[in-house]
Amino acid sequence: MHIPDGLIDPIQLIIFWVITLIIIGLGFKKLGKKFEHEDSDKLIPYIGVLAAAIFAFQFVNYPVPGGTSGHLVGGTLVAVILGPFAAVIVLFMILIVQALFLGDGGVTAIGINTFNMGIVGGLIGFYIVKIILVVLNKTSLSKEIKVTIATGIGAYIAIVLAAFVCGVEIGLSGAIPMSISIPAMVFWHVLIGIGEGIISALIVLFIYKVKPELITTEELLGVE
Amino acid sequence: MDKDSIKWSIITIVIIIGILMLMLTIGFSLGILSEDPDGLERSLIDAKGEKWLEDLPSVWNPILGWIENDYIIGIIGIILSVILMMAIFYLILYISKKRKE
Repeated sequence: MHIPDGLIDPIQLIIFWVITLIIIGLGFKKLGKKFEHEDSDKLIPYIGVLAAAIFAFQFVNYPVPGGTSGHLVGGTLVAVILGPFAAVIVLFMILIVQALFLGDGGVTAIGINTFNMGIVGGLIGFYIVKIILVVLNKTSLSKEIKVTIATGIGAYIAIVLAAFVCGVEIGLSGAIPMSISIPAMVFWHVLIGIGEGIISALIVLFIYKVKPELITTEELLGVE
Repeated sequence: MDKDSIKWSIITIVIIIGILMLMLTIGFSLGILSEDPDGLERSLIDAKGEKWLEDLPSVWNPILGWIENDYIIGIIGIILSVILMMAIFYLILYISKKRKE
């Protein structure tokens, strides 16, 4: 879902850069408060590894029927582990590395790509997970299973939503009519999203098994 | 942070990075990874054609664009991501602790 240079009109690019930078500024403030605890520096190496994992998973494309491929975006996954604003910052950094060093996604499109994958995929994805947990809290499932299921479903919905938003942006840019760009983007990501949901859920379950304290958002998610 | 927790943090991180590298190696050598376009590329190719997508103007030449081996690019990307992310989050931590003082 990496938008390349030259696809989106400059006005949209500027608007999305501004929105993204405002959210990142807010994120820095929120994370600063979160990190005021004495032992929070223990988390930093794991954040680095999480970023590396997201990068690696974004790098490997799995086959999807119809001659298409998909890869993990990871916004909702990072949001569930570190929090919604951390997800925006992590995705922003990964997109910088991908655009500057590998040419995966445009340099001018880093703002709009962060909006789609970090803000829609991560920040909004987090609140979708939170809503799903309201329902799951009424069941007798264990906390770990509730978060795992909610992450899988939330990641799936968030990626389809991000694809819808991306379709709108492409339509607004005039590159392709919106009547084509939205259905095409949503159709392919309805398939690709299955991989996103499964991989995200499995990673959360894995973390719960090996180092549950890395899931730092349980209170914010409201899981019981 | 005590020595033991630092030791185990480093060991865990090295193991996870090793697993990621192994994942890329197996993926590339067995050819299970797809070379097909992703969802966005597929939508654009279906609507406008592959040539149109390739000819989109870009203002930037990727720094590692000269490396042809995907595996090496993947490894460099993993290392860059770890360094950049840890630097940013240490900066957030440093600023927040300074402000608290």
